[in-house]
Amino acid sequence: MADGSGADGTLDEGTENAALQKALAAEHAAIWGYGVVGAALGAGGRAPAATAESAHRDVRDRVEALLGDRKVEPAGAEGGYALPFPVLSAVDAAALAVVLEDGIAAAWVRVLDQAAERSTRELAVGVLGAAEVRAVAWRGAAGQNPVTKALPGLPAA
Amino acid sequence: MAPLPAPGITRRTLLAASAAGVALLVAGCTSSPPGGREAVTNRQADALAAQLAVQEGLVAAYAAASKADPALGTAVTELAAQAAEQLDRLRKAAPNSTPASAGATSTGAAPAGAGAKAWLRAQVGDAATSHATACLDQSGARAALLGSIAAGLRGQEGRLA
Repeated sequence: MADGSGADGTLDEGTENAALQKALAAEHAAIWGYGVVGAALGAGGRAPAATAESAHRDVRDRVEALLGDRKVEPAGAEGGYALPFPVLSAVDAAALAVVLEDGIAAAWVRVLDQAAERSTRELAVGVLGAAEVRAVAWRGAAGQNPVTKALPGLPAA
Repeated sequence: MAPLPAPGITRRTLLAASAAGVALLVAGCTSSPPGGREAVTNRQADALAAQLAVQEGLVAAYAAASKADPALGTAVTELAAQAAEQLDRLRKAAPNSTPASAGATSTGAAPAGAGAKAWLRAQVGDAATSHATACLDQSGARAALLGSIAAGLRGQEGRLA
């Protein structure tokens, strides 16, 4: 049903690893992006960005370890990333954080779609829930409405 | 020489990974051709039907809380609509499921007044946990859908704090 599945259409370690690599790439981007978010928020408002960045570093480390255990070379961070819009204010920073967390949600929904192992789904569903909780706070800070999403990470019907 | 353009953190980049793989969730699938990756075991189908009942219960909880505390009902209109949207997606993913029994969707009475919000939050949290747990024993698009719904409800739970 999904692209990226095995040649016979089944889910296996190969499909799972490919999805994990994309999730890892999204985690690298989020870690970099939260540096921008924190800088734009200033010292007084930086704590949520630092907490989020730390959470993404933890997930990155877990995924790298998982792939390493499977003798798969983990995807590395890009040398640089282009921002989707200028980040000149606290509201811009919050909006960037929303983009980052929404990207994370999409990547981890993809992992759920492609995973073969129950333990990987357990990791994915935990990361996904945490990302949406953070995204709700950032949407509020960015003045977005609604602040919640019915189906984080899934394309609209 | 001009520098190479840097990879962009764009919605397109970050969302690209998900688009194709889960797009067909919209159509729902519990009866794909035998042998395909979407072949569903009876156990998985039953489990998805159970989550349909959980979500029906949550939609009923929103209605009960709104009746018990009309001001809360106004405040959670959007959240209730999202719970209904989640239910709709679950129904599409489990088109052959029989409707839940009245007992399965019963949420009990919401306490009147200020207690309604805390009660509703507990209902949302319980449903999120149920979907997240059920997600672990599903696969493919069904796992993705349940995980996404669980995450959406975690966000709602936070809003109701």
